[in-house]
Amino acid sequence: MILDGTIPAHVSGIESLSPTLKRFRFEPERGHFPTAAPGAHILVTLRGPERVWKNAYSLVTPPEQRDAYAIIVRRAEESRGGSHFLHDHLRPGDRVEIGAPASLFPIANRARRHVLIGGGIGITPFLSFLPVLRARGAAFELHQYCTDAETEIFGRLLTEAGGAATIHGRTSRRAIAEILADQPLGTHVYTCGPERLMAAVEAAALDLGWPSHSIHQESFGGAGGGAPFHVRLARSGRSIAVSETQSLLEALEAAGIEAPCLCRGGACGVCLTGVIDGEVEHRDHVLTEEERAGGRLIATCVSRARSGALVLDL
Amino acid sequence: MGIQFRQDERFRESFSYFNSDAGVLRFPFPFGEDRYMYSVNIEPHTRGGPTPAFAHAFDIDEHYIAECQERALVLADDPGRCQVLPHMMPAQWDTLELLMESLSADYPEHFSLTKDGDSWRWINRPLGIDQSFVFGRPETLPCEPFEYITRQAQGDFTLQDQRDDNLFVDGGMVTTQADWSLDFDIGMSFHEWHGPVPLAHDIGVFDRALRFLLRLQYGHPVRRLNWTMTINPRLDTSPENYPDWGPDRTTVTPENVAEKVHLRVELQTLFRLPRSNAILFGIRCYLLSLKDIERVEKWRKRLHRVLTTLPPELAEYKGLTRYRDTILAHLAPHDDGAELSLGIQPDQTVLPPA
Amino acid sequence: MTDQGIKSRPIYAALHRDSSGRRHLYISAGSGPPPEALGPDGLESWAVAPTSCEGTLRRPDRAGERRFRSTRQLMETLERRLASERMGLRLYAEGPEDFLWDVYGIAQAQGLGRQEVFLKQSGSLARRVQCVHCKTFNEGVTTTIVRCAGCGANLFVRDHFSRRLSAFQGVKVDAEQPGDVPQAERAYP
Repeated sequence: MILDGTIPAHVSGIESLSPTLKRFRFEPERGHFPTAAPGAHILVTLRGPERVWKNAYSLVTPPEQRDAYAIIVRRAEESRGGSHFLHDHLRPGDRVEIGAPASLFPIANRARRHVLIGGGIGITPFLSFLPVLRARGAAFELHQYCTDAETEIFGRLLTEAGGAATIHGRTSRRAIAEILADQPLGTHVYTCGPERLMAAVEAAALDLGWPSHSIHQESFGGAGGGAPFHVRLARSGRSIAVSETQSLLEALEAAGIEAPCLCRGGACGVCLTGVIDGEVEHRDHVLTEEERAGGRLIATCVSRARSGALVLDL
Repeated sequence: MGIQFRQDERFRESFSYFNSDAGVLRFPFPFGEDRYMYSVNIEPHTRGGPTPAFAHAFDIDEHYIAECQERALVLADDPGRCQVLPHMMPAQWDTLELLMESLSADYPEHFSLTKDGDSWRWINRPLGIDQSFVFGRPETLPCEPFEYITRQAQGDFTLQDQRDDNLFVDGGMVTTQADWSLDFDIGMSFHEWHGPVPLAHDIGVFDRALRFLLRLQYGHPVRRLNWTMTINPRLDTSPENYPDWGPDRTTVTPENVAEKVHLRVELQTLFRLPRSNAILFGIRCYLLSLKDIERVEKWRKRLHRVLTTLPPELAEYKGLTRYRDTILAHLAPHDDGAELSLGIQPDQTVLPPA
Repeated sequence: MTDQGIKSRPIYAALHRDSSGRRHLYISAGSGPPPEALGPDGLESWAVAPTSCEGTLRRPDRAGERRFRSTRQLMETLERRLASERMGLRLYAEGPEDFLWDVYGIAQAQGLGRQEVFLKQSGSLARRVQCVHCKTFNEGVTTTIVRCAGCGANLFVRDHFSRRLSAFQGVKVDAEQPGDVPQAERAYP
């Protein structure tokens, strides 16, 4: 499969799941979508009247479903606009562009048992894990943490995906350490949700002696903003301001610069850009310690300037 | 118009192997410059390149039928040339899907794939195959899916599982290899598998290549060229059979060097697979005799220069030491030292008569 | 021993306790005590009694210590033990190279990964060599060239090592010029 550029598609269905959750279905303009990995995410390009958003969302459809992709999006209170646009403005029939599904959250092929722990909207990648794990006859258990108000809707989504799952509402929930204690050798844990939950899963697993390679986290878009800074682009001589709520990548895109990107979460390395001058605050998961110390590369989607200004090789 | 497949080629014993003029000109000559050294020479595997060999995801050429027959002969003698570790079954189906979809889209006159849900029908006209099966159900195919589809493809394939920030060669179909053993190497990590390669480790080639490949994205495959030389048009230069082909290296003389010595090029492609997150590594082997290389002015001069300056460790590793001087003596009179264009394209569209 | 520059040959570091683990099991092909760096706290220690014991087993000196009559017995017990183990175990093994990677193979089959198993070569440097041509395993090889017990070829012992087979690769040394066999040298005592 060689994919050039994005795949033209349209919105084929919008379903309201709860006051803040909607499921969006997309169908390709022609042919089929590529086979997507379980746990894959797609970059959706949304063209609003004033600006363009490129947001990454986990697919909730299984690999074999290629006539349509679906995502579930929570309308964020502090959104930088993408989820508001999806919830408030997107209509059936609207055109969108979809990037090749990328997987930074794969199922470990050698694992002998899988423990999936989701929090809130972090349930989404597991909705595509479930049918795959069942088809493989894999040993697994799924735990979904959420508010009491959402136990019903998440329960329904998990049943649709064909998985036996334990839902932990606010009032009655098992401790993570209790779930992870006494798991057989070769167990892998996967977690997706709020940073606090994922950090708690990691801490509990490490405390129980799990090796780091058995702990998998989905993360994109969690890095947040920071102090504003300026970048100068050495090739064009342009100067661009990055605000506190904006990522460097978003600032470049807002200025009309074709900046490479894929995961938008500091994991894939596609956006790595040369740094000519200035000090970088690295927030990515890609660069090695040596590369960080060298200071010659920046992942524009998550990392920022430590020095107030950067000169980029763009 | 479809490809005119050669029917009576033989890659062993009596040897019978020819390239048409178009076959010579589409050869992926591996030297873009006058010197050769290992590097991370990886580029996006987009459709199209310096010769038609780069036009498709998986290249099929006039030797297709003969190479599939040769593969069947090797497997009949030594089934261990195709092995896949048990945890790679999702990657097996990924491979089957990728090859069937690519071949049927790129060569519709030769291959077709139709689907009705999980019920698939695959037609391979050159090999006379019409197979209906259920995707995801190995028992509906004559053998496991990876073996099934790679028996119908040119070149070797390996499957790399990604875990522990590393790649492990956990499966493969390896019958046309440049002297490495899948049976021995299966299960090895990236650096272990490349352990015997000289020089490249010390200049960090494998560290950088591994970090790059760990980030390889679905839908964006990459490719590189690798090369060695083989005496006689022999595809199976395995370590297993080294006692049988090793003596060939002592048979090169000034009289037969142009016919016997073949430049062996691997067009290597790497695809991220979706269900398994594994990487499919295609190692597509091309053979071109020195005699045919000489018909391309740029290639014969460049090959002379590359072999002249090749580091001795590399010559030894590639097994050229015994006959390199014979090749150089043959090529030297035909290299006037004129400057050559960068890149591997042949710079001519017709060939002098063979 | 000359370095052939092949990177698949394992390099072993001294064993020390990996404090991220919850339980620690040390197994040895010999009968010496575990290295002090593994610490005494809660360390289980399994060893093979020397053949001079002729099958008799003396009582272990302390809790957590266990002895086996043979390597085979130890391996079979290890396999059963790991099948019922839980996450958090760290396994340490010490002995000749073929022993180490046989242990690793059992551990991997039971779900342990490279972060959970630590190996240290000790005792004989003799190698297990697999003939790449006929696939026969030649045990206890101490020389640079060995005649294959399976096919009779004179094999050069290459530094290319398979952790899965727990063996080095043997390649016919005179494949290109039959009969041109260099003198074997004692290299792996």
